[in-house]
Amino acid sequence: MTPFELLEPASLAEAIALLDPEDSSVRPIAGGTALMLMMKAGVFRPRRLVSLRKLASLNSGIAIGKNGALSIGAMTPLAAVERSAEVARAAPVIPRMMRRLSNIRVRNVATIGGNLAHGDPHMDLPPVLIALSAEVGVVGPDGTAERRVAIEDLVTGYFETVLAKNELVSELRIPPQGGSRAVYIKVTTGSAEDWPALGIAVALEAEGAMVKSARVVISAATERATRLKGVERLLAGTSIDEKMLARAGDAAADEAECISDVRGSAAYKRELTRVHVGRALRQALNS
Amino acid sequence: MKFTGDIWLNAPRAAVFAKLRDARFFASCVQGVQDLNEIDGDHYTAVLDTKVAYLKFKFNVMVEVARVDPPREIEAKIEGTPLGIVGRLTARSLTRLTEDDGATKVSYEIDAALTGKLGSLGQPVLRAKAKEMERQFSERMRAAFAEPKSET
Amino acid sequence: MATSITQGGQAAPGAKVGGQVGRSLPRLEARAKVTGRAEYTHTMRLAGMLHAKIFRSTVAHGRIKSIDVSAAAKVPGVYRVVTADDVRKVIPSPYYGPAFHDQPILAIDKVHYVGEPVAAVVAADPHVAEEAVQLIVANYEELPAVFDEIEAAHNKTLVHEELKPAGTFADLKHLKGRKGTNVALDFKLRRGDVDKAFAEAAHVFEHTFHTQKVLHLPLEPFASIADWNESGVTIYSATQGPSFVRTEIARLLGWPENRVRIKVPYLGGGFGAKLYIKMEALATALSMIVRRSVKVALTMEEQFYTITRHPSTFRIKTGVDATGRITARKCEVYWNGGAYADVGPRVAQKSGFTASGPYDIDNVWVDSYALYTNLPPAGALRGFGIPQLVWGYESHTDMIARALKLDPIEFRRKNLLREGRPQATGQIVREVQLEAVLDRVAERLNWGKPLPAGTGALRRGRGVAVAIKAVIAPTTSVANLTIAGDGSTTLYCGTIDMGQGSDTAMAQIVGEVLDIPAETVRIVPRDTDVTPYDMGTLGSRSLYHMGHAVRLAAEEARAKIKAMAREVGEPEGSNIPLPDLFKKKFGMQAGNIVGTGTYKPDYVPPDPATGLTDNVTPFWMCAASGAEVEVDTETGHVRIARLVTAVDCGRPVNPKIVETQISGAVLMHLGFTMFETMHIDAGQVTNASLADYKIPAMLDVPQVMENEAVDSHLASGPFGAKGVGETATFCVSPAIANAIEDACGVRLTSLPLTPEAVFRALRVQANAPLEDEE
Repeated sequence: MTPFELLEPASLAEAIALLDPEDSSVRPIAGGTALMLMMKAGVFRPRRLVSLRKLASLNSGIAIGKNGALSIGAMTPLAAVERSAEVARAAPVIPRMMRRLSNIRVRNVATIGGNLAHGDPHMDLPPVLIALSAEVGVVGPDGTAERRVAIEDLVTGYFETVLAKNELVSELRIPPQGGSRAVYIKVTTGSAEDWPALGIAVALEAEGAMVKSARVVISAATERATRLKGVERLLAGTSIDEKMLARAGDAAADEAECISDVRGSAAYKRELTRVHVGRALRQALNS
Repeated sequence: MKFTGDIWLNAPRAAVFAKLRDARFFASCVQGVQDLNEIDGDHYTAVLDTKVAYLKFKFNVMVEVARVDPPREIEAKIEGTPLGIVGRLTARSLTRLTEDDGATKVSYEIDAALTGKLGSLGQPVLRAKAKEMERQFSERMRAAFAEPKSET
Repeated sequence: MATSITQGGQAAPGAKVGGQVGRSLPRLEARAKVTGRAEYTHTMRLAGMLHAKIFRSTVAHGRIKSIDVSAAAKVPGVYRVVTADDVRKVIPSPYYGPAFHDQPILAIDKVHYVGEPVAAVVAADPHVAEEAVQLIVANYEELPAVFDEIEAAHNKTLVHEELKPAGTFADLKHLKGRKGTNVALDFKLRRGDVDKAFAEAAHVFEHTFHTQKVLHLPLEPFASIADWNESGVTIYSATQGPSFVRTEIARLLGWPENRVRIKVPYLGGGFGAKLYIKMEALATALSMIVRRSVKVALTMEEQFYTITRHPSTFRIKTGVDATGRITARKCEVYWNGGAYADVGPRVAQKSGFTASGPYDIDNVWVDSYALYTNLPPAGALRGFGIPQLVWGYESHTDMIARALKLDPIEFRRKNLLREGRPQATGQIVREVQLEAVLDRVAERLNWGKPLPAGTGALRRGRGVAVAIKAVIAPTTSVANLTIAGDGSTTLYCGTIDMGQGSDTAMAQIVGEVLDIPAETVRIVPRDTDVTPYDMGTLGSRSLYHMGHAVRLAAEEARAKIKAMAREVGEPEGSNIPLPDLFKKKFGMQAGNIVGTGTYKPDYVPPDPATGLTDNVTPFWMCAASGAEVEVDTETGHVRIARLVTAVDCGRPVNPKIVETQISGAVLMHLGFTMFETMHIDAGQVTNASLADYKIPAMLDVPQVMENEAVDSHLASGPFGAKGVGETATFCVSPAIANAIEDACGVRLTSLPLTPEAVFRALRVQANAPLEDEE
């Protein structure tokens, strides 16, 4: 490991000022569970790390608005999100899925902002948050001017996000879910703690079996978490029965661009998609 | 790691073949190639500079054109050494050209292996990167042949 | 999760009941470990110590044309960069290995697998050494490589030009100088006439099975520190076999053994990985070159390049008569040993002779081949090859029962080896509870009652497997014991406690003999300067062999106490407290009583032509497992609803430790069964990290897991005990595969049993094979 500079700013503005828009060897570090692995592997050699540790107290609150909107500070550890009564009330799918997000040692340290900014396509949170129409607040060098980025648009490729090198995620916001019911299915093909081979998240607004709107997201099996808009269109305004679930599964299998890796072949992941989209919708309907 | 694909080009086979044998043109279609150096007609060296998000990888690359069957096939061997990290990239590529009604189909098969640190830990990332490079290569090829035929 | 343990075993006539043996004493070192006070080599530092990091091969097979270390040597803080040329200046013939002297300390002239050590950087800071390693450049002339064991057996591509057996093992000597082959050992067993029996059989079945490459992955990776000077070398090492390390380092240096000292603190797991020489030879060579103490501590990733379990191909053919008796079995086993033999040839032989299983078969033919390939080396992994064999023969046995429409348990019972019958080698089998383990598993699975088949996409099924293993022979253990003037007792034994609880068990044996609480016995940290010889902590041999040596040492001490009492005029049967006895004898708190014990069981080597012998092992161990599974036929996912294992470990010396040994072994093999696999591309392991190579964790534990040690007492064992480290590993894989077939009708013949493998088999069964996409 080559020596590098480790800075611990005490304010968000200071942290942003220490980042370098041109130099990719300057990175912010929050929980460090992902970045440290890359450093240990020798694939990432920082010139400077800007630790956000001292911002934790400023930026790790969880608040629920009157309308049910949820805001979570970027430095909130995943385990705190998992245990939050507010989160359980506003978006019960999140604590449910957290139990199998990596393991408790990682969840105690990894932060929600770091998790989202990391941009690994195997992450469990992004598909769920896309289904919930969540967004992040992003702060850049022009100080208070915050821009909003839908989680759906955040990640563009492997470790690639729309964030500039001197921008930081400040907050995660989940809009009020109303009557919408969300489900996440994590499919592993190795240990239960493995990265998913496939993630399917759905958020369904329905009256009885009649679907008003549906958001269906696939992740891990594809290059990045992606909404299956064809499936969403197919479902909107229809009444769900077993036949429709099968059609939705088939449509998802057709629409998804699955890739092969050590966790399974593309062909197999397509079949998993076919099955689990139907199961996720059924679960959401029955929940 | 195997990559296969077809690129349809709106040009006769002989023209496509001639272009593919032009190392400068070929290199210009591959993202990140720098310092191309022709040793002789069949041997080249270059530096491949590539990045995935904030991770940068640089390879010293040696290309050997192992077999040419004009205007049908080109077989090449590629060897690369990453800089600053122990590893080795080896690849064999077979490019086949077939003509149909004035257009040419370029079919490629690349069998690549990555050993060392990048091979043990970086395969998924670099595979995704390679796919991206593959897409760009196709686009640049198509773009080159879509241009008005002034230079060929 | 429900777990239970049945305390088996009646005490032998005359033995004391209710003493130290049979207590569920908590492990003596537990507190030191959970409070972080236990010492491990990986975290140990010596004053002035330097750190070494290894530059590894990036080609699977190649001639080394050049190694450029200049850039690495210039990195500030680098003390020295070392290649094989430097090593040969201090150790002229730097080849080591337990079975073959084939492994160079650093690659010489050629490299034989991706990940092989080629050079090392020594620096004061391990991070500096690691950074400098990245600047070394080697050029290779690539040679054709062979990865598959069957391909290797054709000898078209040769891994080594010439075989170099070590001479340690008499049964490998005939291989010396053999050329033109990848076969490091071909073990043969010939009993009866299989061809004739096949011709006469009512049914003949033949199948082929495969196992994948997996590894031990102890959470403490390999670590050794060597501190050399002209008068001697001290090596601190995470090793399971300090005596072997001492002998081998002495041989490499041309020194007598008494100038080589091996010290071993606690091990963070071993499972067979840390046997024989691993990092010790490199650490010693580096210490000789730089004349400082040098530590070689590997990363988790590097474990994937160091030692693994053998992948295998097992062709098995069985003849059955009209009544359902197995009349003949032919076994061809190919062990993929990787680039260096390590202990592979011993696995091929010592496990090979049980390839026909725990059955009474008149005609047996075994060919067991240890093969060189261009992969990371394979050695012993908890079971010493037996789990790979059982995977084959118990899947095969189940397939036969199904084909003949016989109950799988009845079919096994009918053919099981009974007390007094000869095993394939010809040795008469005694004191192995094969029927009991099978019966207990059948009972726990409610075998007599039908299992509901499941609803919708979920199909339920169950399966069993039963297996036998011979403890490795012949091996030797020596123990010493001292009693101080205050009566306190200290034990010197070379068995390594790597988490299996052996220290506690040995203390219980001392306590039993001397009638003192086991907690009061101190066990000296392993140090070959003070702890006597032991062959190694491997193959479930320690409790039996070292247990006996410890028993004998304690008994000798007890006899000396009696003699001392007589000498000082105590009446016969006197119960004088030990401090008083010592005071009477020496006039003050002074003196010692020293007991020593050596144990080596009898052994008759197998006939080289037939593999037959009437004494191949001092005892047999056995186990059965049963699984109830639920297969999701839409996805191929298998949920293990119940996993039951019964073992014969003789009398449990410590029932609680036996229980954790069984559950640990079962879970470890659950990983090897369901998902663990080293993915290899062009010789490169592509998932060499715990991020991509997952081992079972809490959520993978079956819903119900039941573990049991059946009533058993080995008359020749120390207080009736056998070993227990491996037994529960044997049957997990085939029991689950058999249950999967029972559930949904598909048979998998390769490990691991991934959801995709099950799914693909289901699609083949439905005549709609899954087509791969571009």
